[in-house]
Amino acid sequence: MKIAISGKGGSGKTTISATLTRLIARRGLSVLAIDGDPNPNLIQALGLGPGVEAEAVPRSVVERREDEAGKTRHVLTSSVSEIVGRYGLKAPDGVTVLVGTKVDHAGAG
Amino acid sequence: MRSIVGEIVNSSDGVTVMDMEASIEHLSRGTLRYVDALLVVLEPYYRSMETAGRTVPLARGLGIERIYGVANKLRSPEDAEAVEAYCRNHDLELIARIPFDENVVEADRVGRAVIDYDAASPIVEELSRAADFLLREVRVGGNGAGRN
Ligand SMILES: Nc1ncnc2c1ncn2[C@@H]1O[C@H](COP(=O)(O)OP(=O)(O)OP(=O)(O)O)[C@@H](O)[C@H]1O
Ligand SMILES: [Mg+2]
Repeated sequence: MKIAISGKGGSGKTTISATLTRLIARRGLSVLAIDGDPNPNLIQALGLGPGVEAEAVPRSVVERREDEAGKTRHVLTSSVSEIVGRYGLKAPDGVTVLVGTKVDHAGAG
Repeated sequence: MRSIVGEIVNSSDGVTVMDMEASIEHLSRGTLRYVDALLVVLEPYYRSMETAGRTVPLARGLGIERIYGVANKLRSPEDAEAVEAYCRNHDLELIARIPFDENVVEADRVGRAVIDYDAASPIVEELSRAADFLLREVRVGGNGAGRN
């Protein structure tokens, strides 16, 4: 199950994402929380102490490839478990958190 | 960058929860394409709801069928009614009504998760119901059927 949380700046996205993540994890599921915000603060909202920082997942984990039709596709250059192992942090209740952004909006998306 | 998140989300098979950035111009296909459910956080101010609500047609256009409202920072029954009216008018199911909760402010101030600061906080109780709803409706009934 993949859930995304959106809303206006300051509306409570990070607080709600973090709390929902912890609650789903407490129901016995493995949860990957992804901070897609350029000012990452999900880590702290999840309960990792102040000062804990994650290394953002770099662009190099995705490669652009063209398919036969000439359409650009993005493909991961390593497996999700490798990416999570390398860049993920462990948070309470068995949650894993990844920081997905160090923003360079130009050409992104 | 967004496509990185999108690719990771697409390729992982557990539950993923994505905290999105505020500006909707960046809610591109890359990130949203794979999600089973989009939660739209709505504060009880018209302009806030309008801004947040702009993601709804965008997400519907991407084929995301499950889009839910989450009301936050409600201070009165009138606040709750304002968000409920907005959701009715925009065909959005409201799955949580979170009050303004001093515990969130305090937890932020001391740098803790609100669930650790006080697990009986109103926000935690309200989101517990939302978590149960999502696990029942989306995980079991959704595209993710049979997966995590
Ligand atoms: N239910 C609530 N009651 C009281 N305060 C709240 C509540 N939800 C969020 N807040 C407060 O609102 C502020 C913004 O919350 P949060 O950081 O979760 O929002 P956000 O949407 O992620 O913001 P940004 O757009 O900057 O990433 C914080 O100071 C937080 O403590
Ligand atoms: Mg945030």
